[in-house]
Amino acid sequence: MPIIDISKTDMFELLGMELSDSEIEQLLAKLKCEVETIENDIVYYEATHDRPDLFSVEGLVRALKGLMRLEVGLRKFEVYDSKIVLKNMGPKYRPVVLGATVEGLKLNEEAVRQIMQIQEKLHSTYCRNRRKVSIGVYDLSTITPPIRYIAADPRTVKFIPLDMDRLMTLDEILVEHPKGIEYGYIIKEYSRYPLLIDSEDRVLSMPPIINSDETKVTEDTEEVFIDVTAVDYRMAMDILRVLVTSIAERGEKIGIVRVIDKNNSIYSPDMSTRTMNLETELISDLVGINLSPERIVELLKIMRLDAYCENEDLLKCKIPVYRLDILHPVDLVEEVVMAYGYENLEPELLPPEHSGIEKGLERFTRILREIMIGFGMQEVANYMMTNRDLLYRKMNIEESPTIEVVNPKQEKYSCLRTWIVPQLIEVLSASKHAGYPQRIFEIGDVVHVDYTSENLTKQERHLAFVIADRAIGLTDALVLIRSLFNTLGLSYSLRETKHGSMIEGRCAEILVEEEPIGIVGEIHPLVLVNFELEVPVVACEINIEHCLRAVLSSSR
Amino acid sequence: MVNVFICYYCITHGCCDAPISLNGLVLPERQFKIVELLVKGIKDVDSIALEMGVNRSDIMRDLAELQSKNLLITSSREYEIFVPTEEGLRYVKIGLPEERLLKVLEKIGDVSLDKIGELAKQIDVELKEEEIKIGIIHLLRYGIVKVEKGILSLMDKSKTPLLLEKCESLRRGILNPGNAPNNILRELKRRGLLKRKIRKSICIEPTEKLLDLFRKRKIKPAKVVTELTSDIIRSGAWRTAIFKPYDLKVEVPTVYPGRKQPYMELLEWIREILVSMGFEEIKGPYVELELWNFDVLFQAQDHPAREIHDTFFVRDLGPGTIKDKVLLERIKSVHEDGWITGSIGWRYKWSIEKAMRLILRTQTTAVSVRELYKRGDGEYRCFSLDRVFRPETLDPRHAMEFYQLEGIIVGKRVKFKHLLGFFNEFARRLGLGRVKIKPAYFPFTEPSVEGFIKHPELGWIEVFPGGMFRPEVLLPLGIRESKVAAWGIGIDRIAMTILGIDDIRDLFSQDIEVLRRMKVPMITSVLG
Repeated sequence: MPIIDISKTDMFELLGMELSDSEIEQLLAKLKCEVETIENDIVYYEATHDRPDLFSVEGLVRALKGLMRLEVGLRKFEVYDSKIVLKNMGPKYRPVVLGATVEGLKLNEEAVRQIMQIQEKLHSTYCRNRRKVSIGVYDLSTITPPIRYIAADPRTVKFIPLDMDRLMTLDEILVEHPKGIEYGYIIKEYSRYPLLIDSEDRVLSMPPIINSDETKVTEDTEEVFIDVTAVDYRMAMDILRVLVTSIAERGEKIGIVRVIDKNNSIYSPDMSTRTMNLETELISDLVGINLSPERIVELLKIMRLDAYCENEDLLKCKIPVYRLDILHPVDLVEEVVMAYGYENLEPELLPPEHSGIEKGLERFTRILREIMIGFGMQEVANYMMTNRDLLYRKMNIEESPTIEVVNPKQEKYSCLRTWIVPQLIEVLSASKHAGYPQRIFEIGDVVHVDYTSENLTKQERHLAFVIADRAIGLTDALVLIRSLFNTLGLSYSLRETKHGSMIEGRCAEILVEEEPIGIVGEIHPLVLVNFELEVPVVACEINIEHCLRAVLSSSR
Repeated sequence: MVNVFICYYCITHGCCDAPISLNGLVLPERQFKIVELLVKGIKDVDSIALEMGVNRSDIMRDLAELQSKNLLITSSREYEIFVPTEEGLRYVKIGLPEERLLKVLEKIGDVSLDKIGELAKQIDVELKEEEIKIGIIHLLRYGIVKVEKGILSLMDKSKTPLLLEKCESLRRGILNPGNAPNNILRELKRRGLLKRKIRKSICIEPTEKLLDLFRKRKIKPAKVVTELTSDIIRSGAWRTAIFKPYDLKVEVPTVYPGRKQPYMELLEWIREILVSMGFEEIKGPYVELELWNFDVLFQAQDHPAREIHDTFFVRDLGPGTIKDKVLLERIKSVHEDGWITGSIGWRYKWSIEKAMRLILRTQTTAVSVRELYKRGDGEYRCFSLDRVFRPETLDPRHAMEFYQLEGIIVGKRVKFKHLLGFFNEFARRLGLGRVKIKPAYFPFTEPSVEGFIKHPELGWIEVFPGGMFRPEVLLPLGIRESKVAAWGIGIDRIAMTILGIDDIRDLFSQDIEVLRRMKVPMITSVLG
């Protein structure tokens, strides 16, 4: 979630009054914004992803005015026809362009910084790092409309980008400018790049990479032109509305731009407000508070919405253009509750209708765990994520199909375990200083590939144990297995087998009801050496789901 | 001294003057042997030790015990002995300087004084400058050699045997100064081949009491038992045996109890608490379709949480499948236009290919929605306590795999205020104190809430996220009448608080010692 920083001085000026730090903290929390720190004049807060209108001080103050009852109901913006035409001749891979202007601006250094910040935060969140949408804000006085969105030749077109002092071709910008390096991948593969130019061929920007230096917004800017280019019309319009309403908080009017396509023309931004019905019953039903329709209207106005009663049971709500998060009447319910105050809600304990129960497998796991502890074993727990090197190479066995991830952060944790013994031996290897004997076990899940299931995997619960001591042998493990099965009241048998991790002639399969359910043996010195162990180790691993089935079937 | 039993404790510990029974005094075998030797007249500790074939230090404890029973008196005196010096030992090995010089002269005849060392070396006789001088002095004294004009030559060989005999006596004297005649001893001391050393000798005198008891045969040896065996019990030998006392100061080896892994043990407690609150446990797959992990939860397909930074994608496997095509149609529709839910949806083109991709589940909410799909409307509450995966680098504060505790409360009457009631009750049962709530954002719940608890050091920490599942989540799953309060809890954080650890990796420690040291989890509110 984005961290926003704002200046208290600037905020107080926009708000028309001052607040203490604790008031700031409390009020922001009511808007789901969490104050991280306040350092002198700067407030750092984390805004939630669903409220891009709170990504700058202007939108935040607009919302605060409602909460503080300084200004309630829908914020009305004055809109006029800017008469500016924006011609869309842009590349097919970024087909959407929209525009808007704001006039009568009074900016200062902080205001310019806030305009930069909301762009940056929108870019990194809603705009998916500019891949889907990118925005630009320009000093309108430096531009001569009409404005054209074109697909330009990257080798011949030149302009001076922001933060540079020389003319560069679009190609050069992609390899030399920091923003070109960062975002170049979005357009690099195409032969022509998006470009915004005015009627005198002056470059405004090269979306989604960088603006020109010439058209940049300064403290003296009184009127701005805003563009949004995108792969999707709806997203472009949403972002434009958020941005233009934020900037308009420091100006007088929002100017409509006519965007002309090959076939049609549209007016941008679309400033019409949506209306959504809210059945008053939904609030008592979902939250458990009873509010009169009038009270609900009042609370919605505090959240800067408008509403009126259609009848006792139904409200018509008007949703501000910048509120992208309201999709369903339940979102209106939350607005009402937020205005009502979460702290004013009375928690109520609802007694359960039924008794609870632990999952059978967990209960069985607990039984086994307790038996193992009775044998004096120490329980350990490992991550299910591990690596093939440990599971197979170090254990001296062939690889088997394994769930591996595409994007591991560390090679050490790049797949899911298919058996537990390797990690137990890893524990022995990490605990050589702890003295012997070491008798440890783990009960946990392993995952195998299984093409017959919907998610192509099968998970099993296993019990594994290892014993390491200066003198230890297969008998020590067999004793435990015998006691374990006796305690469970299950019969089992052993069958000679071969296993790469174990010494030949000193390992066996464990069978229950003729079905192999596990393996036991003395770990091969080859494996011990791989783990830098100098004591003999016996190991055993059992699929306990088989045991559980056997226990259940024997009791029927 | 009639009808008094032996105080075994006192005999073995020598803590008091033990009364002696009619049967007499029973002493450990070794002490009895000492008594015997004393009576025979051997009174020097070293001699006693020698007789018994043990070291002097071995019997000191026994002597102290006998003394404390008034059976003997010890006194010590100092005396001097002579021990060989390093040089003395060297002479024993390679001969005295006069012997060696004589050997050289016999071999090479007359020799210039300043050439002796060099020539000796040629015939492998070790002879230092200092030793040449000593040699000459002694040979001159016997008149065996003469020195003229710087030349040393043999003069009278008849005295040679006398010299060699003397040398032999000196060497014997070095090795055994105690038996050396006085003149030899004097010479050895003068030549620095022996040195003086002071030794302490302990002399023991038996008391009258001991002699009396011994004469009357009232002192008897007893077998000292270090380990009681079945044989000793059966044979009755224990009746006359003395049990070797334990030295309680000796360090004993540490053994470690078999014990539960502390984190797993805590999870068991938490399971118990939830069961007691009417929750049924549910389980689901680790490898999950994106559909169940995200799409069903109304998380748009381009939601940042679905990107490579936040989700582990499965390599070379898939896509998965879903048999229920109706469900897929509903999900598609709810994402694109809200379906019949009354929502406007996310308004984009939903891709089934993306929904069928396999990932490691990032949230156990996937388990909750699978259960809702399976059971539909009704009155029930479920929980899952299981592992989820997120691409993080393992460090003290982050882990790529961790436990989530997640639950749903389903029913017609279930409301948001009941979720808050659940938070308070659960926190009370875990002993976490008051829960403070704030509005929050999750894509699949509305209203949403974040519950905070007060941590003694960290202040208010967020531990209880939750909310009411959105209609966009519920309707496609076939939940039409019930409402669902859903909550999830970052159990790792709570576990670290309860277990008193500050490194998240210790929850899955591979160091047996760390696990042994970790305290047993105590949820004090449950304990009383």
